[in-house]
Amino acid sequence: MKIKLYAIHVDDQARALRFYTEVLGFKKCQDIPLGEFRWLSVVAPEGYPDVELSLEPNANPAAKAYQEALLAQGIPVTAFESDDIQAEVKRLKQHGVVFTMDPTSMGPVTIAIFADTCGNLIQIYQKN
Amino acid sequence: MLHRDLLVRLCRARERLRDVESEPAMSVAAVARGAGVSRFHFIRLFKGVFGETPRQCRARARLERAKRLLVVERRPVTEVCMAVGCSSVGSFSAGFARRTGAAPSDFQRRHRPDPGTPGELPRTLTPGCLTLMGAGGSGTATQEKRARTGSAKLRPTPTPSP
Repeated sequence: MKIKLYAIHVDDQARALRFYTEVLGFKKCQDIPLGEFRWLSVVAPEGYPDVELSLEPNANPAAKAYQEALLAQGIPVTAFESDDIQAEVKRLKQHGVVFTMDPTSMGPVTIAIFADTCGNLIQIYQKN
Repeated sequence: MLHRDLLVRLCRARERLRDVESEPAMSVAAVARGAGVSRFHFIRLFKGVFGETPRQCRARARLERAKRLLVVERRPVTEVCMAVGCSSVGSFSAGFARRTGAAPSDFQRRHRPDPGTPGELPRTLTPGCLTLMGAGGSGTATQEKRARTGSAKLRPTPTPSP
């Protein structure tokens, strides 16, 4: 058994694809039209090229409520690892990305949190 | 860095902007004041966090409200126009047509509320491979297409290839 896919909800798939590819630097993997929505996934620029991040529409009111509550509570929906968090944060800020936590050392890791413009907070971390 | 309390105020501001029903004629400036930041700062932060400007967020909410009033409540176009805070039927209809591909009256004629869940817009298909969840009332231009072809609902949900 292995993890091949991880899904997050986004409030706009077109905007999500733009942010994850053009700003974060992910690559588009699957893009299959499904009525009003798309089966849309991306892969990270580094790490495991066969692990997909699925960008699912939050069309279900329950998903919407969950996503909005997490955001208002300042809780990230997932975390990505970086080899150089300081450089990554600097680069993202130049793209206008809003951080709710600047790089902060938390014992074994340094973490930072940013808004993904699709209704989520994402944590990035570097192992110390 | 965006502090926690300001993030919370931005989230509340977004809720206000989306609440067309209670405040059909609300201005972005008023919402910015409510959030306790200058209008300029508010717009910049809002766009940074939510990926769209307050005005775009508001326009989307008004469109969704208009669709619901037209399809679910079967209200006349002029009434819907007023209910979403628009004073000119001409500009309302033009804006609606630009976003959905159909004039409000055509949109109303072509759509019927979801018979399965009264009070809802017709259900839309979500890629439910993981969540198998139905969609809420968020329609877009493709509803038009679906209404014409009637095929989208029957399309099977593919699973990602291994």
